[in-house]
Amino acid sequence: MRPVARCRRLPGEGDVLITYAIKRFIMMLATLFVVASMTFFLLAAVPGDALTERTARLPEDVAARIYERYGLDKPVFERYLITMNGILHGDFGESIVHQGQTIPKVLAEKGPVSAQLGIQQVIVGVGVGLILGVIAQLRHGTWIDYLTITVSILLVSVPTMVFALLIQQVFAGNLGLFPVIGWDAGDLSYSVLPTLAGSFAYIASYARLAKASLADVTGQDYVLAAEARGLSSRQVVVRHMLRNAAIPVVTQLPMTVAMCLTGSFFIESIFSIPGVGQYYVQAVSDRDVTMVMGFTVIIAALYIVTIFVTDILYHIVDPRIRLATGSASE
Amino acid sequence: MRSFGKKAAAAASRAAQAVVNPTPQVIPAEMFRVVGFESGSSTEGLRPVVSYWSDAWRRFRKNPVAMASLVVLGFFAVMVVIGPNIRGLDYMSKNTAYINAEPDAQFWFGADALGRDLFSRIWVGARVSLIVAIACSAIQMIVGSLYGGVMAYFGGVVDEVMMRIIEVVNSIPGLLVMLLVMMVLGNSMWALLVAMCITSWVGTAREMRGIIKQLRETDYVAAARCLGMRPLKIIVRHLIPNTLSILLLDLFMSIPSYIFSEASLSFLGLGLKTPAISLGTLISDAQAVMELYPFELFYPSLVLCLIVLAFNLFGDGLRDALDPRMRR
Repeated sequence: MRPVARCRRLPGEGDVLITYAIKRFIMMLATLFVVASMTFFLLAAVPGDALTERTARLPEDVAARIYERYGLDKPVFERYLITMNGILHGDFGESIVHQGQTIPKVLAEKGPVSAQLGIQQVIVGVGVGLILGVIAQLRHGTWIDYLTITVSILLVSVPTMVFALLIQQVFAGNLGLFPVIGWDAGDLSYSVLPTLAGSFAYIASYARLAKASLADVTGQDYVLAAEARGLSSRQVVVRHMLRNAAIPVVTQLPMTVAMCLTGSFFIESIFSIPGVGQYYVQAVSDRDVTMVMGFTVIIAALYIVTIFVTDILYHIVDPRIRLATGSASE
Repeated sequence: MRSFGKKAAAAASRAAQAVVNPTPQVIPAEMFRVVGFESGSSTEGLRPVVSYWSDAWRRFRKNPVAMASLVVLGFFAVMVVIGPNIRGLDYMSKNTAYINAEPDAQFWFGADALGRDLFSRIWVGARVSLIVAIACSAIQMIVGSLYGGVMAYFGGVVDEVMMRIIEVVNSIPGLLVMLLVMMVLGNSMWALLVAMCITSWVGTAREMRGIIKQLRETDYVAAARCLGMRPLKIIVRHLIPNTLSILLLDLFMSIPSYIFSEASLSFLGLGLKTPAISLGTLISDAQAVMELYPFELFYPSLVLCLIVLAFNLFGDGLRDALDPRMRR
């Protein structure tokens, strides 16, 4: 069997890709800067931060000293410069609610929890979703197909939190199979329900995505040609259909992973899991401006870098997308 | 288009010269003979003209799932208006006699932790959730299509700069922005509207820009321009009708996600807060007593899921009916 021919790149095309990558990289830095600035000024506009309450009943000079300790006594623009300079050097400042708490400390403590939960969710959700979607499309028009469509529409119509509360009530409350809330790094039984609850959204969306992209390639000429050459249907599916249908899935996946690593806000809140998502929501509620600032920048950076990498990969993976100089935005 | 006009004019004058230069040959009228033409017969046998919308409606009606979802949506629309008054019970003030009352003949869906009728509260909550969702979708469509329209219309540098702005907004995680805006503006309905719309218009703007750019190059718009139709009339006659179906589709597809966002934000305590009533706050309130009084969680969740399911199915049906690419 002849190996599948790779699409050869046209001469000079690599240069176009490099130019494009450089352009996108500059764009990425600009975006990061804009996001950090916007976050800072939004937070500066918050009416009353966590310190307002803490210092309300203190004598004025003590209150002033507390503000000075966190550098919040300076004018907004000076604070902006200090903050941005700090971010450049990886210093996000100290929490104004919990003394001595800094972003690296919180990340080291809560990051692994969120990451473990997120990765479990993605593996279960994306795996099951892709399998369901592919089977549904290959058995197009049969009861498996209709069942998958129905189940995915039902799943899309139930909010994650309602679903999480439901399985929490049934499996932990009524049946007592798993712990209701909490987290133990060594005990996987704590992570079963949160993983299940979080993965359902992925199952629904990836089943739809897999089915749709497989349906797109079904009628293509190269599939017809492969069938005409006499390949077995198994070979046609594996070599030609799945390979091409994988492109939208592969480009979607990094975003999913990036988002899941930063913590599933709702799941962590419902199951009281000490992860980054829960911490962020708590920091927003507490108006802990320094921590909100730091985490927003870090999460946004992760997100933006992922978009950048995905975009470049997309152009390398799929040679059909030609970059015409001058009109990169289409 | 102008260059095309010039070319056509040049070709026409060349043709005219070709006709004029040789000795003119006139064919007398009597050499022509009418071969079977009766006035009025030219339109006979043609099917009646079916407009795009009646065609879409015809296909929509044939889809039982879509029709069922339309009926369900109609039911919910009626209930959010009259629902709170059906029982005639006070659903705002505390009533210690009926705290956490189980569902019975008086309280159809039970009473909440303050003894207030849950049946009435659910419909008030659904009303608020629906209003927020529809308002957000409308804002998204209006801002998005204006922005996209301006991009497509001006093109060039304006297009380029506005596209960069879209790229920046697009690469900010939406949930974070929502939380930040709610933190800055406080927990009011207006804050919620701003928070939920602040990043969502980007998708619509991108889509509209693409569609309008594509439409501008179509033959019928070119023809309209050649015939001297004014830009405003082209927009009204061609651009709006052709983008309306896509906008309508987007509108119904985005409503469920806004209902979700509102409920989720309120659930985290970062959206609407009690005493405001929405499906999110009802679910959030019920979570505290979930183990003892599961019905308080069950009914608002059920209504939320049914509304979203109906919108999803309706949207799917609408897409099949409206999308010309789906036609066989």
